[in-house]
Amino acid sequence: MTSLGSSSSSTTEYVVRVPKNTSKKYNLMAFNAGDKVSCSAWTQARMERDMSNRRIYGEEESQEGAAGSEFGKKQKEESRRKKYGIVKKEFKVEDQPWILKVNGKAGRRFKGLKKGGVTENASYYIFTQCADGAFEAFPVHAWYNFTPQAKHRTLTAEEAEEEWGRRNKVVNHFSIMLQRRFREQERGDDDDEEGEKGGKKKKKKGGRGGDLRIHDLEEDLEMSSDESEGSNGEDDEAKAKSKKDKGPKGKGKKKKKKGSDFEGFEDSDDGDFEGLEVDYMSDESSSEEEEQEKTKPNKGEGVPKGIDEMSESEEESEEENKNEEDAKEEEEEEDGKKTPVQVEKKKKKDSSGESDSSEDSDIEGEAASALFMVKKRTPPKRGGGRGSAGSSRTGSRPGTPSIDNAATSNTLRAAANKLEQGKRQTTIPSSETPAAKRLKMEPSPQSSSGKSTPQPVSGKSTPSASDVQLTEDAVRRYLIRKPMTTKDLLKKFQTKRTGLSSEQTVNVLAQILKRLNPERKNINEKMHFYLTE
Amino acid sequence: MSDKGKDVDLTRAKQNTGVWLVKVPKYLSQQWAKASGRGEVGKLKIGKAQGKTVVSFNLSEDLTVVECSGEKVSSVRSPREHPFTMQTVGGQSLAVFTESSDKLALEGMVVQRAECRPAVSESYMKLKKLQIEESTKPLRFSQKLEKAITTNYKPVSNHSYNLEYEKKKKEEGKRARADKQKVLEMLFSAFEKHQYYNIRDLVDITKQPVIYLKEILREICVYNPRGPHKSTWELKSEYRHYKEGQEEEEEEEKME
Repeated sequence: MTSLGSSSSSTTEYVVRVPKNTSKKYNLMAFNAGDKVSCSAWTQARMERDMSNRRIYGEEESQEGAAGSEFGKKQKEESRRKKYGIVKKEFKVEDQPWILKVNGKAGRRFKGLKKGGVTENASYYIFTQCADGAFEAFPVHAWYNFTPQAKHRTLTAEEAEEEWGRRNKVVNHFSIMLQRRFREQERGDDDDEEGEKGGKKKKKKGGRGGDLRIHDLEEDLEMSSDESEGSNGEDDEAKAKSKKDKGPKGKGKKKKKKGSDFEGFEDSDDGDFEGLEVDYMSDESSSEEEEQEKTKPNKGEGVPKGIDEMSESEEESEEENKNEEDAKEEEEEEDGKKTPVQVEKKKKKDSSGESDSSEDSDIEGEAASALFMVKKRTPPKRGGGRGSAGSSRTGSRPGTPSIDNAATSNTLRAAANKLEQGKRQTTIPSSETPAAKRLKMEPSPQSSSGKSTPQPVSGKSTPSASDVQLTEDAVRRYLIRKPMTTKDLLKKFQTKRTGLSSEQTVNVLAQILKRLNPERKNINEKMHFYLTE
Repeated sequence: MSDKGKDVDLTRAKQNTGVWLVKVPKYLSQQWAKASGRGEVGKLKIGKAQGKTVVSFNLSEDLTVVECSGEKVSSVRSPREHPFTMQTVGGQSLAVFTESSDKLALEGMVVQRAECRPAVSESYMKLKKLQIEESTKPLRFSQKLEKAITTNYKPVSNHSYNLEYEKKKKEEGKRARADKQKVLEMLFSAFEKHQYYNIRDLVDITKQPVIYLKEILREICVYNPRGPHKSTWELKSEYRHYKEGQEEEEEEEKME
């Protein structure tokens, strides 16, 4: 090492050596800066070649020996390959990726892929400074790019595509992996499950359901997964009965419903949902929420209650299941139909009893004794229309010309409204099929209000007149059949069917009830009316 | 899997040794490969000029001779001055590991990247020109021959390899029919090794005339005219017993 002090600048000279005898091959290990890899922090590292490609490139060993083998088969195959010019790529160990494990089992794993083209046009050298100050240059043999390998569970390609298709509808993304895990568990536990229909399974479902709560606050969505454990216990107690129903029907139904939900839909553009006069709660996208409604634990104070808590009627459990069936059937019927019917269908489907109840609950809040919380706006990603529908829940139902208070006024929505209006005004029985379909739909969500007839041919879907008109006879008929709460009754006489506004409906219903003077009974802490003939 | 994994020697990594990664032009690395003795290839000058670090590499005199293909004596010499352009490591963290025949070791981290550029000079231009000329030459080229080549194909009455073949045939002679039992033994031992045989292969193995062999085959074997093993002979199922030994079958056959 010679130091020359030259005049203007200080330079130091170092000898550069290129050692000839190295048995060691120098390679580069490249990490992405974002991975924050610090080699000095490693306590232990193991590295080996990843040989998993061997079976692809290696010779396929057909079975040697007597059975099934032909004399001279190998030679024949080889000559055949030569004849057709098939060249097989060699399996070079040198080119195989590395697998690097840092800090043992619990540490990170990296995969190092060889970067091609490094030594083609220019050579890389590693300059290290030796003790004597000289530099030694070693040529770089290969360059490997190391990437960290995920330890967490990931979706496969098929599952990822599925979820991608549902991205607009799914709100709670935490549930995706949770459900996948649950599915796997289920497959594994299939035999065990039979005996364990009881607490364990429910608990699992409860836990899973515990992660999903139907409410509007986006910011609270993150909390759901944290609270699952805590609320599990509550959940079981609170919803023991509903769970019993869920148990046997549970999974399959959920799956089916989920699948059918999405099968029934056509691709939705963003504008499609805007005409829907739907309370936010009842968004179709959270079909999983719907399924797990019953298993929603109470979130606790400060968080809006889920739809479940809002709609407390004794027949809830039955209704849910019936609802699911109905919803499915609705969809199948409705597949081809467009706008008004579809809009309505969607509305119905979304509502599936919950929204109805929630909508009605608003109305009822004014009239009846139950207290319901005011719901908030839909998150915008759900579609503007829904949001506006949600906000316009102060009783304005579809069909009224100025539907919403929100800013969005959409041609589609306007068209949908106009159609609904027109439908209402032209005597509905005249348009038989849509009406019949509507009738079919109507009862199903309204079955939540207590009718145990899931099918279109229910007692009350006789000529539309009775459904449409809020008459004393109609009310009497309902109350004779079954005890109902005021809320249920309101559901029966939905404003857009009767043509009355919600306030009017409430008033008229109140009058009718006064006239009828039905007997009261307290079921499930709710006041039910009933008549005996 | 963990047996195969080699522990990476982290001793030098812990010392936080910093190394430089330098990109060097191909011709320079070729020259370096020709270095003799201890491998000294030149000198590296590191200095400061106007506040910036200036690094330059000077190639040793004796290594500037460039070999070029062709018969011409090289009049071209590679340039000697090579300033280094320094670059940041940035975006990637680079580590150096070595692989020797038995172990892997982590040598250190790259702290500086550099590119070795030749100082543009006459000699460099000439060198480049030479390189370009070489690279534009096609790998295959047609060349005109002055004289027609007459040594390859001369008309022969009979080719040498043909003669050999005929000789061989004569020696072997016609295949004689051996004892039936012996043939059967041969066949059974052959079928022990493989299930399907071509008639040609069986003839080679047993060295029997085809007609005679076929007669024997029809007794114990069945012919597959089509299927995955097309036109092959395989033992009849009663003689077939591939899981267990064949001796029993053979003995039964012998008894018959």
